[in-house]
This record gives sequence, C-alpha cells and structure tokens, in this order.
Amino acid sequence: MRFLILPVIAGALISTPAFAETSQRDLEVIGRALGFMEGVSGSDRTVAIVYDAGSEAEAQALAGAMSGGLSAGRVTLNARLVPMADAGSLSGAHAAVLLGSASGNAGVFSAASSAGVMTVSTDMGCVESGQCVMGVQSAPSVRIVVNRGAADASSVSFAAAFAMMIEEI
Amino acid sequence: MKKQILSTTAAVLAAGLTCQSGAFAQTLDYTAMSELFGEPVTAGATGAPQRASDVPATMVIITGEDIRRFPERDIPGILRHYAGMDVTRYGFGDGQVNIRGAATGYTPRLLVLVNGREVYLDSYGYTAWATLPVQLDEIQQIEVVKGAQSALYGFNAVSGVVNIITRNPELGNYATARVDGGTDSYTDLSLVAAYGFGDRASVRFSLGSTRADEFGGYPGNTGAAGFGDVEFSRDTLALEGRFALTNKVSLTTEFTHSEVNQVESTSIALAAESEYEITSYRAGIEADTDLGFLTVSGFRNEVEVLYSFGLNETSLTAFAIEDLFKVGTRNTIRLSAEYRDGESNSFPAPGNGDFGYETLAASAMWNRRFSDTIELTLAGRYDHVDWSRDGDPDPALYPFSREDYDVTIEEFSYNAALVWRPEFGGTMRFSTGRGVLAPTMFDIGFGLPVTVGGNTLVISGDPNIEPAIVTNYEIAYDRSLSPTVDLRAALFYHETEKDRGAFGPVPDLFPPAVNAPAFLFGNRGDTATTGAEVTLNGNPEGPWNWSVNYTLQSVEDDLSPFGVNTVRDYEGATPSHLANARVGWTGERFRADVLVNYVSSTDVPMQPAFGSVSRVSVDDVISASFRGEYVINDNLSVALNAQNANFGDGEQTNANTLTESRFWLSLRAGF
Repeated sequence: MRFLILPVIAGALISTPAFAETSQRDLEVIGRALGFMEGVSGSDRTVAIVYDAGSEAEAQALAGAMSGGLSAGRVTLNARLVPMADAGSLSGAHAAVLLGSASGNAGVFSAASSAGVMTVSTDMGCVESGQCVMGVQSAPSVRIVVNRGAADASSVSFAAAFAMMIEEI
Repeated sequence: MKKQILSTTAAVLAAGLTCQSGAFAQTLDYTAMSELFGEPVTAGATGAPQRASDVPATMVIITGEDIRRFPERDIPGILRHYAGMDVTRYGFGDGQVNIRGAATGYTPRLLVLVNGREVYLDSYGYTAWATLPVQLDEIQQIEVVKGAQSALYGFNAVSGVVNIITRNPELGNYATARVDGGTDSYTDLSLVAAYGFGDRASVRFSLGSTRADEFGGYPGNTGAAGFGDVEFSRDTLALEGRFALTNKVSLTTEFTHSEVNQVESTSIALAAESEYEITSYRAGIEADTDLGFLTVSGFRNEVEVLYSFGLNETSLTAFAIEDLFKVGTRNTIRLSAEYRDGESNSFPAPGNGDFGYETLAASAMWNRRFSDTIELTLAGRYDHVDWSRDGDPDPALYPFSREDYDVTIEEFSYNAALVWRPEFGGTMRFSTGRGVLAPTMFDIGFGLPVTVGGNTLVISGDPNIEPAIVTNYEIAYDRSLSPTVDLRAALFYHETEKDRGAFGPVPDLFPPAVNAPAFLFGNRGDTATTGAEVTLNGNPEGPWNWSVNYTLQSVEDDLSPFGVNTVRDYEGATPSHLANARVGWTGERFRADVLVNYVSSTDVPMQPAFGSVSRVSVDDVISASFRGEYVINDNLSVALNAQNANFGDGEQTNANTLTESRFWLSLRAGF
C-alpha cells in the first residue's frame, strides 16, 4: 500500500490551486447519478470525501450535509471523511468525492480505482485528465462527464440509459 | 405547467424505425432522470434516451403534472394549447389533430403511439382519439415530435408523432380514482392503479367510462341534424404486466380494450356517427447486453368500426427487433427491422374479397457528436410493401380485378439534423426529413356501390394509388432569455406531393372504360405550407407562471379542382394564425389556470349528403377556459372546470357541429 500512499502525500505537498467548492446541489447530482451505477444493490451509498488541508472545511460542510443520510433520488448518501493521505483506505466506499488537490491526483485515483471506488469531482479537469471517473457540474445546468477509460480502470459501469444521456470521453 | 419545446443541442436525432418508438420509451425512469438533470427527458425523438435540451427535433413534452392542470377531458383538448398544433373539434369525442396544417376529418398525417404501440387506425390512417385506452391520470408524459419522422417511425409520421407514455408500474405503487360530473349529462369515471409484487413483477390497471350529450349539429348542415340527441360513450380497459426476468432482461405484456360511440367527420367531410371496438395485445423483451440495448417486440390491434357506410374489420400484427448501441464515445447507432401484416374484410360491401398487405422494413440511424457545439444525426429507412386481395370484386361494378391488387410499393425515407450551439448563446437546429404517407385500406381496397339519381355508381379504392411524399425543412432556435423566461422559435416549410386518398362528387372513370361510373381514392396534387412558430414560457419565482405561443401558417395548394375530384382545400381549411395564452397560479392549497385560444378564420368543406359539396366560412374563434382546484388534503382534491366558457350553446368551429361550453366538477383521490 505504501507505493500508493507516497504519491498521494507527494501530491498534497504541491501548492493547491483554487478549486470551485462542491455545493450541496453538486452532491445531490452526484447522489442521483450513483443511483445509476451498476452492480450495487440496496439504497444506501457510502461516499468518501477525500480532502486536503485546504479543503477540510469544505469536506466538513459536505459531511454535515450528509449527516444522518442525505436522500438523493433512489439512494441515501452517508459520508466518510478521508484525509488525502489516507486514500489507501477507501475500500468499502461506493464513491469518492475528491476535493482540493485530491482532485486530479494520480495517487488518489490509483488508490480508489484499485478499490473499485467511483471517483468524482466538480473539477472537470480531473475527469478530462483521466484522474476521475466522473465530472459533475450542477449550475447553470447539469453536466455529467464520464471518462470511460477511468471507469474501466475502476471497474465501474452505469446503466445503459444513463450512459447515453451523459457525455463520455 | 412546465411546457418544454425541445430542440437543441447535440445528441441523437433519428433512430431506428419500427413500430416501437424506442427501446427506452417506457422503461426509462422519467422521474429519476428528470430530477437528476433538472429537465424533462425523452426517448421519443430518436429512440435513444435524451435530455430535453439535447433533442435534435422540435418537440413538446407535456408532463403528467401539466396535464392535470388543463380544463380539458381528452388529449386533443390538451394539445390545442401548444404552438403548431392544429385541432378541430368535430364532435364531443372527435377532436382531430394535425401538426402545422389543417386538422381535416380523419386526419391521416399524424402517427400516434401509446407506449410505443401504434394506435392510429389502419383503415384510413387516422386516430380516433376517444378510443385510446388511456386515462389522463395515468400518463407519465405526452411527447410531440414535429415534422416528418418516417425514417424514425415509419409510414404516417409525416406531420409528426404523438407518443403517449403511461406511468411505469415498476417504479412505484400508485392509485387514482376520479369522478367527474357536469353539464350536458357529462359523467366520467377513471380508475388507475399500479402495484409491484416484490422486485420482479408489477402490474398497471386502468379503467375508464364516459358518457355525455354530443354537440348539436351545425344548422347549415342537414346531414348533421339530430346530432345533439346522440349520446357519446366511451369505455376503456388496460392491463399491463412487467417482469424482470434478470437484472438486465425484462418482459412487458399489455392488453387493452375500448368501445366508443361518437359523432365525427369522415375524410370527405360527411358528418357521421360511428361505433368503435378495439382490442390490442402487446409484448416485448428488452435486454441490456454487451451488444447494446436489444429489444424484440410485437403487437396486434384488432379493430371493428361500424361506419355509417359499413362494418370494417381490420387487424394489424407487427414485430420489430432493434439494437441501440454506442461506438466509441461519440457515435450512437440504432439498427432496426420490422415486419407487419395488415388485413381487412371486404369493405364496405361484402363479397369483393378480403385484402391486406405485408411490410418488411429496415432502418439505421447514426449520430455523431463532433464537438461540444456541433452534432449530426442521419437516419434512413427502407420499406417494402406487398398488397394482395383474395377475391374478385364484382366485374359488373368495379374497375379492378383481383390481380390488379397485387401491387408492390417500395419507399425510402430519411431524416437529417445538424445541431449547433453558437457562442452567442442558445441552440440552432437545421433539419430535414422525407416522410411517406402510404396508401391505406380505404385507398387500396374500398368498394361500395352507391345510387345517385337512380344510377348505380361505385366508390372504389385504387390499387394504383401512389404514396404521398412529404418533405420537411426546418430551422429552429431555442434560448433562455433570462433565468425564468425561455424562448422557442422555428421556421418551417413542408410540401406534400401526390396528396392521396380523396375523391370528389364527380366520378373519375366513366363507361365505356368501366361498366359503372367510379369514384376513386386517388392522388390529387400537391400542397405546401410555410410558417413560423414562437413560444415564450415564464416560470418566475412565486406562485405565478405563464406561457404564450403563436403560429403562422401559409398554405399553397396545387390540387385537383375543389368539388370535382376532391373535397380537399388545405388553403381554405388551414387557419393562418393560431395563438394561445395561459396564466397559472399555485398556492398552498389552491391552484388556478386561465387559458385563451385564438384560431383565425377558415373556409372548410361541407358535404351534407354525398355529392352535395360546398365551402362554409368559419369566423375567427376565441375561446376562454378556466380551472380551479382545491387540494383538500394529500389524497383528495376537488376542481371546477370550464371548457370554452364563452361558447354558450354553440360556437361554429367546423361545418358539422357547434362546439359547446362544457362545465364539470371533478373529485380526485390519489394514493
């Protein structure tokens, strides 16, 4: 696991660019999208919030929004806070919302994909670079982009109807 | 009352063909998808599931929530409030609908589907809307696709497609009971329910019964005298089962039955009373496979219509297979094949031999997203139709022998659309389509002797009739003018060559060429329509919302002379101006809607008795309708409806009946 954690830590040490914060509306879109992920039964979804030092407050706010379970369409979201340095412990989560410099970090993606966790970020650069499975934007209109290569690497697939209604790259 | 005219963006346009409007038409979880994307979703434009803003055809989606707020009791009544929709009310139950052109009697230019099953009547290609086995309370959404869509849907989809989708019982239990009572002996009972048995099986049940006094006849039409004494009746039943065979394979079965008695206008403008009895069966298997989304489906419609001129018994059996899949991340492909078999009794006169057709069709659709701003969709369909007759019409009367009915029709249709999102905002859409209006049972096999002035003549189908070809061109532009106001606009031109299926008061064939003078269902020339439509929808913060739309239509006919070989006059019968407005208010427990419609003057054909043809002028018509609903609790509501409140005992809107004001009280319980 060390070989995964080291690049994660290294990424965290790099100066963090300004990222748009993930809003509760973004979270709801992510949750509804999770309802179309294949191979998952039941309605509860564990969402890991992977954060760096600069995005800890944002992570706490999102975790607060999911406190007690956030209903989003077919599923109920429950948060698990994961510091970026602990990205190797993502196993068991259904999805990982990447905040701050965790978004676009190769080590985080590698850790998540090897654990079969669907990575998602509101930073579209993350999905475009293949370091996230999904990019989500909720305003001004909903935009969902899935990187097929990243999805395959993460053993993640979506319902056919959903896949045809989003952008795939 | 969110009204959406779709268009726009990229995505898939055309899609395979077939009798099924797309594999996802009913299986799509419309509610979940709409909540996810923040806008309506559809599979009706291309067969592929799409967001409203991505659909590359001009389209209206009317949601179940919208439907509930109209002071209307049937689907034609709802459709009349939207841009580009021509609706003529020939009787209490006979509302004919066309898109961007006159809604003549037995309008044959529109393809209507319920959950992907064709419900237009094979006899003449028209829709008797009252026979649809659907209650308004169970509709998930109504999708209207404008323009020729033959490459997507097959024959008849030349002015557009109306796809009615009921709520999927797999997605939750529900039950609604509604009782209406109103003026002119109007009563309506509606019961709909859905129930799931575990995760693997679910059923939908629907029952409806309506009674009302028909509209009175137009005083100038002696053929319509006494219509006010006719009772309109409608009874419908639908039963649907859905079964998840595996996590990725599902089976759907459906049975429906409807019986209707109504006053209506025939294709040659004769006022008539008809009885319908229609039974349908539908089944389909859908499988999400590594080869794509595969659908194998079939349906059978059994139709008995007691027309004023005879009993017509037809059946239509259709099977289709299709595959929808993506190639790479930018290409969507849909491949489809269809077989259909249509049969009719010797009609209206017996003894001439039953007749019918077999069709084989294949189609393909390709959508390519070149970039985030440009997307192209191309679709094509090939149809091969073989007609035949199993008996010889009486040679002393009819001009055709059994062998003459062995005809083959082959046609190609296409759709193409380019969608562009320019930097200056909004979405532009350039589209064209070639649609095929195929000959119907009437057109080919009709046979009826008539006596005029003591002489025997015959009305006959013509096996040599050709399909009418409709070509459509359109430029559309959609954009949000502000966060709460949306604009939808379109310029369109469509032309029909060899308009088919009409005859006039003068026979087409005379002795000695034939033994008896014969009127033939034939091709009667060309017609073209140029027009524009614009819609503004407003959904500001607060309790108010509003919508206005306007449609301009200019028709140029090059038809056989009116009153000689045809009674068609699209120039006269098409209103040049249509305008609709609506204001809605939503409070905590009270909802109110006010709707106004304007239809400019027309000159419409009238034929009180066969051979007596004239035109009747119909002045501008303005109607005002209201609805107020009080929500008693989460399960119970009561509503007062006023339809065409200013019409009183009758307003002339056509040459057969006078459209009357109708008022009714509606009590609804939902669980």
